[in-house]
Parts: sequence; structure tokens; C-alpha cells
Amino acid sequence: MTTSSKRWKRSLFIVSFILPTFLFFGVFTIYPVIQALQKSLYDWSGMSENSTFIGLDNFKEMLQDPIIWRSVGNDYFLVAGKVIGIMCLATLFAVALTRFKLRGSGFFRAIFFIPNVISVVVIGVLWNFIYNPQIGFLNAFLSLFTEKKVDITWLGFPKHTIWMLLPPTIWAGIGFYMILMIAAIVNIPASYYEAANIDGAGQWEQFRHITLPLIWEQIKVSIINIVITTLNGSFVIVQLMTNGGQPDNTTQVMGSYLYRMAFQQYHFGYGAAIGVLILVVSLATTLLLQRIMRQETIEMQ
Amino acid sequence: MAIKNPVAKTIVWLILLLWSVAVLYPLIWTLLDALKNNEQFFLNMPWALPKLPLLWSNFSYVWSKYNFSTYFLNSIVVTTGSTLLGMILSAMTAYVLARYAFKGGKLLFTLYISSMMIPFALALIPLFFLLNDLHMVNTRIGLILVYASLNLPFGIFLLVGFYKTLPKEIEEAAVMDGTSHYGTFFRIMLPLSQPGLITVLITSMLNNWNEYFLGVVLTNDPGKYTLPIGLAVMQAEMQYRVEWGPLFAGLLVTMVPTLIVYIVFQRQIANGITAGAVK
Repeated sequence: MTTSSKRWKRSLFIVSFILPTFLFFGVFTIYPVIQALQKSLYDWSGMSENSTFIGLDNFKEMLQDPIIWRSVGNDYFLVAGKVIGIMCLATLFAVALTRFKLRGSGFFRAIFFIPNVISVVVIGVLWNFIYNPQIGFLNAFLSLFTEKKVDITWLGFPKHTIWMLLPPTIWAGIGFYMILMIAAIVNIPASYYEAANIDGAGQWEQFRHITLPLIWEQIKVSIINIVITTLNGSFVIVQLMTNGGQPDNTTQVMGSYLYRMAFQQYHFGYGAAIGVLILVVSLATTLLLQRIMRQETIEMQ
Repeated sequence: MAIKNPVAKTIVWLILLLWSVAVLYPLIWTLLDALKNNEQFFLNMPWALPKLPLLWSNFSYVWSKYNFSTYFLNSIVVTTGSTLLGMILSAMTAYVLARYAFKGGKLLFTLYISSMMIPFALALIPLFFLLNDLHMVNTRIGLILVYASLNLPFGIFLLVGFYKTLPKEIEEAAVMDGTSHYGTFFRIMLPLSQPGLITVLITSMLNNWNEYFLGVVLTNDPGKYTLPIGLAVMQAEMQYRVEWGPLFAGLLVTMVPTLIVYIVFQRQIANGITAGAVK
């Protein structure tokens, strides 16, 4: 076999293995993303003939739209609540299940991950029943301690209903991040802890000076992952639990507002612009967090 | 070092126990409530055990009256199709990216990986119109193609990492024997990468089975709903027609398959998480 035919065969192999995936990815991911960026500059009701270029008008309209601002606020509220709730509990569980050498660690680990394999739809429906005013678990439980039957409409507060979306999302998220932390902690050389023991360092000091700095990288990745998945996916829980932003748009998030604008009110251009907003907010937050958390790593070392 | 203080140890243990209950109880509750009728929901406490005779008929009721048989079949077809397609396409590209140096290879890898940072909500509207143009809205093949594409970045990322860990000598020996590039891949490397493939398979499978966001936009024909979409629609209908027992039965039908997969493939799922995070 000659060298050139060998080369040709090699190139053919590479192309035949790269191209199908790339074409597929191009059609179903890259093309829609580019289209979204482009369509955000149009006034578009869905029909191709009703599509007018309007420059940045969709984005200017957003500045005037109070629901957009509220959606961004709600998304950040969920991000902040989830980051705090999930990271605290996931880290606590991970440390408890590795460093404390408790009985039943494997059992707890297996149990805690279960919510992560369940569809968010199932979680939403399930928690709707926990909150249900007439037959729900929460009111029935509280009624045990009161004379009168409790009948709070948990998902109908005029202002703070968004708070009620935190427990289900934290409940559902912990296991995944706990597994991440556990993997990181298990990788820390045992000799570090042995040396600390000889120095007489307690559990808290060991956590503060050994565990935390050495799993900081995983904490960073986890926080950023929570940010991205929340900004992208908070739509589902809102759609299922508060009927797409009820009451009165107070639980609207960017994703649910996009869905409503585009697929219920046929403002597809405006919807696409909300999509771009989600992208920008998500990337900006990620970059900002990476900066902040990098500085902290240096401080700790 | 184990915790020495017995009080602290007990407290931690109690917290863990409490959280276990918080996780397990809603699931047990789902099973119990799937066996009740409306009367029991309204008159008894939510944690009351279902009365005899247990209403197993709630399951056959959602299965036939609420079309869960159709949703279940759609979920099976869509999940199987998209998972396998995504895995094959990921494996081919990942192998070449990991083992062959060529112009643009690194750039391509970066492109796939960085696409994980893009919220797919952005692509929602154009995807709908793309599928509409291809006459694939309300089709299972439409969902299969879209879900498979969503699986690619993670699959490629994980498998590139996996192929890089396999020793180079195996391929070199194959080349010496005159095996073609294709033969090396299909007969030697693909079987060797089985652990990585299983991790990708299970992770994608769970994601595709549970997917709702894109599915709800890309299908509006009940005949093409997957389980999560059908379940959400059923819940919305409860405003007009109250049938709590069957709704809980529907919850179980939707989640039991993923729970079984979890019990069987626990380790592979954990591998997928940890591999995906070491960026």
C-alpha cells in the first residue's frame, strides 16, 4: 500500500466519522441557536410573511416590560435559594457520609439521590399535593397542632408564592451535587487528615482547612451548574406548580414568559428576544461567578 | 477519623434520617394514594392508609381511560430511539477526536463542549419552526432527533475522556495486523469502551425519559405525548374532573421505570455525574 492511499484512507475515515454527527448537531442545535439570535431582531407572529426587521426594538420593549424585570428577579431568587439550600445540605451530607464514618452511609447515599432520577413533572405534581389547600399534606400536618383546620393556599399568596417553589427544587437537586462532593472528598489523600489528627485538629477545623479548600473546584462547578440549569429550566416547575406564573405573574420566570409570549400569544420575535436574554444573563452570571470564586481560592491558599 | 462526640454523632445521624424520610415518604405516599378513591381523599388524613379493597383498578383506569398506554409506548419509542442515535453519533465523533490528530479537531471538541453552556430555551422557538418545516411536529421521530442532539455534548465529552484512557498499543497492534480503521473501531475499540458507553446510555436514557420542556412545545397531539407531557396534561384536567387516585397511579407509571433503572445502574449513574464534573 502506498503512503498516499494510506493517508487518503485515514482522511476518509475521519471525515466519515466526524461529518454525520456534525451535520446532525448543526441542523438541530447550531442552526436553531443562530436562528434565535436572528429572530430576536424581528417582529414575527409565526407566519414567514409576517416577519419584519425591527432592529433592537424587542429589547427596548423589554426594558419597559415590568414582567420581564420580575421574571429576571424571580429567576435570580430561585438561583440564590437553590445555591444556598442545595450547596449547604449537599456539602453537609457529603461530609457526613464520608468523613464521619457513620453506619448506613451507603444506604443514605442511595436514598438521597432518588429525586434526581424522577422527572421534574412528577416532582411538580407531587408537591402540588403537598401544598394542596383541601387535601394536601402540609395543611393536614399543621392542623394537628391547631384547633381550627388549617386551609392555607400555599401556591396563591399574592406576593411570596415564589418562595414555595424553593423546597421542591432543593429537594430534587441535592442528590446530584452530593455525589459530586462525595467523589471529591474521597479523592483527598488520607494522610492530610491523619496529619491533622496528630495536630489535634477537630472535625470543624479539618473541614475548614482541608476539605473545603480541596473540594472548592467542585463547589465552583456545582454552583455554576445550578445557575445554568435553573435559568434554563425553571420554566418546568413554574408551568406545573403555578400554572405558568400565577398568581398575577408574580411567579413568572424568563422561561415561562418566553413560552407564554411565543406559544400562547404568538409574539415569536419577542419570545426569541427573551431567549437571548436568558443566554446573556446565564453567560454573564457564569463569568461573574467564575471571577468572584477564583479570587476566593487564592485567598484561601 | 470518625466523629468522637456521641451527641454530635447522634444529631448528624438524625438529620440524615430525617432527610431520608423527606425523600422516601412522598414516594410511599404516592403508592398509597394511588389505591384510594376520591371519598378517602376528602374525608381522611393524607397519610391514612388506603381502605380495603385496594383500588388497583386506578392503574388500569389511567392506562386505558387516560391513554397512559399510548404515552408509555411513545416514551419507550422516543427514549430508545434518541438514546441509541445520540450514543452512536457521540461514540463515532468521540473516538476520532480522542485518537486522531487532524486540523480543526480541537476546535470541534471545544464547540461541542461549550454548547453545554448554552441554555436550550434559546433554541426552543426555532426548533419548533424547524420541525414544522420538516413536517415533524407531533411525530415521535421529531422528538427522537431533537433529544438525540441534546445528548451529544455530554456523550462526546465523556467518551473522549474514556477513549483517551484506553492504551494506544491495542490500535497499533491492530494496524500492524492490517485491520482497517473501521475494523479497529467496530471490532476492537467499541467493545472496549463498553463501560463508558453504558454510562452515556443510562444518563441519556434518564434525561430523555424525563424530558418535558421541548416535548411540550413540539407535540400537541395526545396520540404523540410522552409520559411527562401526558401527566402534566392530566394534572391540568383535574380542575374540571377530580380523580386523584388515578393521577397518583399516573405518577407511579411515569416514575417507576426510572427508579428501576436507578436501582440496577446506580454505579454507572454516579460515574456519569463525576465524569461530567471534572472539567
